[in-house]
Amino acid sequence: MKGSDQAAPPAVKNRTSRRTVVIFIIVVVAAGVFLFPLLWMLLTSLRPRADIYKAVPTIIPEAFNFDNYRYILTQEKFPRFFLNSVVITSSTVLIVLFSSLMGGYALGMRRFRGQNMLFFLVTLVLAIPYIMYLVPIFVMEMYLDLRNTWLGLILPYVALNLPWGLLIMRGAFSTIPLDLKDSATIDGCSEFRFVFAICTPILKPALAAATIITFVFVWEEFLFASSINVRNYTLPVYFKFLLVETQGQEWGKVGAVVVVTILPVLILFLVFRNFFIKGLSEGMLKG
Amino acid sequence: MMFLSREGRVSVAKGRTAHGRFCQERTGSAMDEALAAQKHRMRARRRFRERRNLFLFLLPTLFFVVVFLAFPLLSSGYLSLTDVRANIFEPHKLIGLKGYYQTIVKDSFFHTAMRNQTIYAVSYFFLTFSCSLILAILINELRKGVEILQVIFYLPMIIPLSIVGGIFLWIFSGTGNGFYNLVLNHLGLGQSPPVNVYGDPRYALFGLVIARSWKMTGFTLIIFLAGLKGISKEVREAAQIDGASFRQELFRVVLPMLRPYLLIGVVWILINSMKEFDLPAVMTFGGPGTATLTLYYRAWSLAFEYWEMGKSAQVSYITALLILLVSWVFNRIFKPETAQRG
Repeated sequence: MKGSDQAAPPAVKNRTSRRTVVIFIIVVVAAGVFLFPLLWMLLTSLRPRADIYKAVPTIIPEAFNFDNYRYILTQEKFPRFFLNSVVITSSTVLIVLFSSLMGGYALGMRRFRGQNMLFFLVTLVLAIPYIMYLVPIFVMEMYLDLRNTWLGLILPYVALNLPWGLLIMRGAFSTIPLDLKDSATIDGCSEFRFVFAICTPILKPALAAATIITFVFVWEEFLFASSINVRNYTLPVYFKFLLVETQGQEWGKVGAVVVVTILPVLILFLVFRNFFIKGLSEGMLKG
Repeated sequence: MMFLSREGRVSVAKGRTAHGRFCQERTGSAMDEALAAQKHRMRARRRFRERRNLFLFLLPTLFFVVVFLAFPLLSSGYLSLTDVRANIFEPHKLIGLKGYYQTIVKDSFFHTAMRNQTIYAVSYFFLTFSCSLILAILINELRKGVEILQVIFYLPMIIPLSIVGGIFLWIFSGTGNGFYNLVLNHLGLGQSPPVNVYGDPRYALFGLVIARSWKMTGFTLIIFLAGLKGISKEVREAAQIDGASFRQELFRVVLPMLRPYLLIGVVWILINSMKEFDLPAVMTFGGPGTATLTLYYRAWSLAFEYWEMGKSAQVSYITALLILLVSWVFNRIFKPETAQRG
């Protein structure tokens, strides 16, 4: 079946290689379809406004310019909301990494009563719709005056993303041989130093996976962000109000916001994509 | 902690004196006894330290799980059994399951949401499942350029859902030259006024399905490709040597072996379809009319538009039960062991 099969008779070889070409073409076309919405948005953001709303429109733009980007980056709102998103996402990632490193060690390398029960309860969270947590957390934050603050979103985000982190880190810790821990203990190394100084460098791939998964999830989170924060938007919520505000009359600016919003997570994805995919498949197959 | 450690030391010391005197009379070696006692003391201290460390290691997890997951879960369970409205601290009555009864039997919005949800889940399932399975099988046949193709298919996964909504809103837009109408115009099928897919109750729900599928396909593709990679080449080659055609090989060998992975994919797609909130919230606000009112959106709008916390909690508990039911049915009834392992 494979083209490199030397023993195959010529006819079979010819047939399979032709099939490979056909499959290749189909997959490439499908990839084009998948990529198209993004490219179309990029193209739109680069068009002058007149080009988008022409009476006789064209598919390929006649001229490119960066007016839309200049507009959204110099305006007051967008950079502030971008900063909100960056701060909330990165601090959530840090706290999730720290907590799942600690918890993953306890769940993966230690034995204690109720261990499996605890792990089961934590993974159950993955299946429960987030909206069940939303109302009580909303009320709680109203009374603690945490709404419209960074912390008000960071705390629930950490809780919601911790299960994935624990899933990944527990799996990673259970691959570390117990002998390593024993020899470290004999050498007088405390457990905390063992986790943070010895295990952390070994677990870099798992940490990278947890980082990017948490980043992607928090960067896109909409339900909590739109309900809890009514003034201090994050980017997805700002985007919703931008759509409402522009009423379909400013697609070029919308496109620019889309491109700038995607950019950080796109770069992270391209750099860490293997960790992302490995972490996700681990989580999905076990969860 | 200090108290505990002091107590531990005291009890150990007592043991030594009693035990030590007894031993001295018999063997006369106080040295050994002192050593044994010290060992014992050290072991007790180490055990205590291990316990304390375990607690400290679990502390962040426990804090977040208890305060932000377990407590909210229980309190919204309680809310769903009351007639609470906007302010959950004002006096209210426990009405038990009557609220659920009213929601399930009498609430016509809930009925619409259930109907939309079913249509949505079924069409979303077929589109996502077939797209990702076909793509996975085709990609698995290829040897060159696989990586870059995979990256392209995985790319939509990382696009924030509300942004996905905006992108598709623009493609199917009735204003400006949205691509859909642009193509229709070029084909001479253009209508005036231009078609607005998300403004039309007949198409809006399916428009959401397309947008969501675009994002989800990558996830299931990961699962299926992982499964296909696990099928050994020998098995497939054996089938080919036995003269199986590609179709036979696919349906008799590959798909049965892929079954546990297919199952996981199905469960993830169905669970995912129940959690539809972002797209209706960004694109259609549950409309036009109630055309894209999903269960999730209904639960949210009850809480944050109508300020009916009790009713909202009922809808979200029903959604959660449905999700657990779906994953339970698929995991237990079909193929119990393999589905768990993956």
